[in-house]
Amino acid sequence: MAYFGNNQQRGELQELFADLNDLNFEKKKEAIKKVIAYMTVGKDVSQLFQSVIKCLEFQDIEMKKLIYLYIVNYSRQKPDDAIMVIQNFRKDVRKSENPLVRALAIRTFGCLRVPKLNEYLIEPLKDCIQDDDPYVRKTAVLCVPKVFEVSPELCPALLELLQKLLEKESNALVLANLIQSMREIEVVNGKQLILMNPKIIQKLLLAIDECMEWGQIFILDYLATYDPVESKQAEIIIERTLPRLSHINPTVTFCAVKLILKYLDHLDNGDLVKNLCKKISPSLISLLSWNQPEIQYTILRNISLILQKFPILFENEVKVFFCSFNEPYYIKYEKLDIMVRICDSKNFNQVLNELMIYLNEADPHFVRKTIKSIGKIAIMYDKALSEAVQILVEFAKNVQQANEPVQELFIQMQILYRKNRNLYKTNDSLKILFNILEYANEPEAKSACAWIVGEFAEFIPKSVDKMKEYIDNFLIEDRLVQLQLLTSGVKLYIKYPSLCSALIQQLINSAKDSFNPDVRDRTYIYWRLLSTDPEIVKNLVCSVPANSSQFQKDIRLWETKDLIIALENMGSISNLFHKLPNQLYKNIKIRNNHQQEAKIYKADEKQDIPQKEQEIKKEDQNQQIQQQPKQDFDLLNFDEPVSKSNNNKIDVYDLI
Amino acid sequence: MISSLSFINQKGEILIYRVYKDDISRNEITQFCAKMIATKENKEFPIINIDQTSFIHISIKDIIILATTKTDVNVAMVLEFLYQLSKICKSYFQGNLDENCIKKSFVLIYEILDEVLDYGIPQIADPNLLQKFIQEGGVQQETTINIEKLRQLTFTLTGVVSWRPIGLYYEKNELYLDIIESVNLLISAKDTVLRAEVVGSIELKSKLTGMPECQIGMNDKLLMGKQQKQTKQTIGISIDDMKFHPCVRLPKFDKDRTITFIPPDGHCQLISYRISENINIPFKVNVFYSEIIDNKLEIRLKIKSIYDNNIYGTNVLVKVPVPKNTVNAITATALGKARYEVEEQSVIWRIKKFQGDFETSLRCEINLGTTNKDQVWSKPPLKMEFQIPMFTASGLRVRFLKVMEKAGYKTNKWIRYLTKGGEYLHRL
Repeated sequence: MAYFGNNQQRGELQELFADLNDLNFEKKKEAIKKVIAYMTVGKDVSQLFQSVIKCLEFQDIEMKKLIYLYIVNYSRQKPDDAIMVIQNFRKDVRKSENPLVRALAIRTFGCLRVPKLNEYLIEPLKDCIQDDDPYVRKTAVLCVPKVFEVSPELCPALLELLQKLLEKESNALVLANLIQSMREIEVVNGKQLILMNPKIIQKLLLAIDECMEWGQIFILDYLATYDPVESKQAEIIIERTLPRLSHINPTVTFCAVKLILKYLDHLDNGDLVKNLCKKISPSLISLLSWNQPEIQYTILRNISLILQKFPILFENEVKVFFCSFNEPYYIKYEKLDIMVRICDSKNFNQVLNELMIYLNEADPHFVRKTIKSIGKIAIMYDKALSEAVQILVEFAKNVQQANEPVQELFIQMQILYRKNRNLYKTNDSLKILFNILEYANEPEAKSACAWIVGEFAEFIPKSVDKMKEYIDNFLIEDRLVQLQLLTSGVKLYIKYPSLCSALIQQLINSAKDSFNPDVRDRTYIYWRLLSTDPEIVKNLVCSVPANSSQFQKDIRLWETKDLIIALENMGSISNLFHKLPNQLYKNIKIRNNHQQEAKIYKADEKQDIPQKEQEIKKEDQNQQIQQQPKQDFDLLNFDEPVSKSNNNKIDVYDLI
Repeated sequence: MISSLSFINQKGEILIYRVYKDDISRNEITQFCAKMIATKENKEFPIINIDQTSFIHISIKDIIILATTKTDVNVAMVLEFLYQLSKICKSYFQGNLDENCIKKSFVLIYEILDEVLDYGIPQIADPNLLQKFIQEGGVQQETTINIEKLRQLTFTLTGVVSWRPIGLYYEKNELYLDIIESVNLLISAKDTVLRAEVVGSIELKSKLTGMPECQIGMNDKLLMGKQQKQTKQTIGISIDDMKFHPCVRLPKFDKDRTITFIPPDGHCQLISYRISENINIPFKVNVFYSEIIDNKLEIRLKIKSIYDNNIYGTNVLVKVPVPKNTVNAITATALGKARYEVEEQSVIWRIKKFQGDFETSLRCEINLGTTNKDQVWSKPPLKMEFQIPMFTASGLRVRFLKVMEKAGYKTNKWIRYLTKGGEYLHRL
């Protein structure tokens, strides 16, 4: 058979046309297969519509399926021709004794999506919803949202039927599909369709045990959106859900976890909560070592959310997140992130030792991330500081070329030095860094280097030469580097006034011609300050700040108020991208949550610690500071307009 | 839910394309394909979101199965569904899924796609079930005409025991159990165990008449403790977590940890479990790398098996990493064969049969080529592969397996144990 024929000639279509109208059944069937093949590769075979649907008169079920597939694909292009098929469908739905044929017809009928055909569909659909056969029933139930999407005005009666069915349906599979189908309609409609009552909840809970895996997912997923009215009810639902933690389908397990985690908030028995957490934890960890990396990845992405609210679940489990050598990098990145989040004052040693191994990996991006993580941990825990510096210095010794990790090395070392100035003494770190300064080529890394040279000028031999080298290329540097060079240059001048007089002239000369107004501004400020009172500049630029306490542990990924919404959508696409649904999808409205803040479940205390709004604000500010700790003395908030200083141009030679 | 499914080959051509919802165009898929082929690395993420359209894919060898959606669906569910779909296709093609069989049987695949999803919502994804009414070249006439049989079929499809058809009969009733464990081990350069974990599965193959009620019991510590009959044999092991095939009654297990089920016909993975306590590590490895002097490197390796001497490890393979600029390697060992394999960048040591409680060693002399830059060589970990029949690293044992059916027949039962090396790694 000519599947994927490259050059379809006009002749081929005609040949197909002839074959379709041939009296020989086998020939017809072959021809239809060819038509589908052409359709698959994206060729237009819609001209054959009439000939194809003529073949529907045969009762061969395989052929029927193919023709239906064809009709679904082209019905919107040929709505008038599609009307001719309606009779066939209706006949299949009403007359056929074969439940598979009935289901097939109603399923395909729903997929036509031609508004004017839908009115012919309503009556047969009603029949099918009340069919004896559960297979037909579940297919019919799923057909309703299809119709609703295209012609909602035809549907009120159907929706009522669904609601009635929800009350009386006894087959678990139909029930599960019914729930899912009604939820789909709710999304389009924006109105609540499923009316919950204790009886229905009871029914759904029973159905979980009886229906197949996907059905279990639909029901668990739905129940996870429900707010239990009281502790007792939450307890019952959790109890019925617990067995699902042992299901082989990872999504069933995951949905069960989601549901239980949500309902924990409604329990008032603290011991029970603790016990539940003990049960959930091993189940989640199994999912993390699932043999399908893609699924592992989605679980890992969700862990960071779970971690924020339930640190208790991964107490003492940091080893689970150790990367193995052959894993895909997208998993390694996630694990690295989580390791930093999970790191605490007890296990940071273990984590640092592990990260040290990753520095040998081949992927430069991963190594870079590792270095950044080491820096983060060192910032969070004072005790980890010296070990982290040792690891980084050890790494620096082996640097032989300018690559990504080296850039990060400079950035992190700079931050660590800022945190504790005395670190420069450890392991000759300054000397080692100075030897590889030439490898810095990213703006941020370069500015870090410039800072190091200025700050520790007295401990670095030839620091003035190095600075001169930098200043020679001043104008081609990035804004970030220029600003830092300016400050560092001034520092150097304060430290060695006589040695650097030529240097500072050259610096100010180049800097005042910078394209960047910020740089020019700062140049003039320094310039004028230096010409009036160098002592002020000294206090300003060379003062050693006390060990800064602004670096704090902050693993919050979500605003506390968003946490509940995020948790309710656990596992979804938006969550995977660490966003709220309404941030990713414009048309989605999120449910109002009545609770203002999320409880946090920690290991030590069983009780929650609601965080106060004020604390959060403070933390936010800290975070901002943390994000840009590099611009040390930003003096740019002067009210004086720039132009003024431009007018009073002083010749640079006056200054010195 | 899912808007469309496509099968894509390595060149980015669409082999199969099925739309379930109206909100996606073929153009978007083709664009995505082009993009994916352009950036072909294992770094590419399994899910990408472009303009509110999400592309979720898995790769089965050379074939990419892609699902698209415009709604905020549960990603894990879509991925699991795609994996099950690939399993279904494989079950139809004798375990293969490649471009050839897809092209050859595209009609069949379209039929499957029609059944597994409806309006993008996952439906029946059990290969055994689908085989009952979808077959290459159409199902036997008998099934399509006999209404009674069809009733039975739809009853099974939607029923409580959907995994097992009614009315099976076997002359001989047989049951095979395979307990397969793979050991994941990570040992640091300082010889401390960083992680030791067993991921095991119990595979069941049944040929049983009727609707048999089965119960399986293992030396599970929690269960054994309850029975109060403490003899020296009944000290069980602790299992971190177990996951069960849908046929196992989960509420029953949750209540009293007994595992009861009506097995599906044929083969299934009944239980998968994870154990992280008291693992019997089967091999102890000592490795020594000398300094590189005059472009020569010496590696000495000692392996000791730590299991009973009446059992044997088979197909033992040790991957000893060597530097990139290796020219050749001279190896000396008393057991098995070892040689340098360029594409693996390692010396591969193969031992067909490795007796328990036995020690053997390997000595390699590596000659290195000169390189212009003496870059530091970061050693990847040493890896081991092996299979040890009749041994479980976790110590798990099946204590009993009961089969009860109202016909009261006798069942022949066979059981096998096997331990394999999973991610069995020594850092150097």
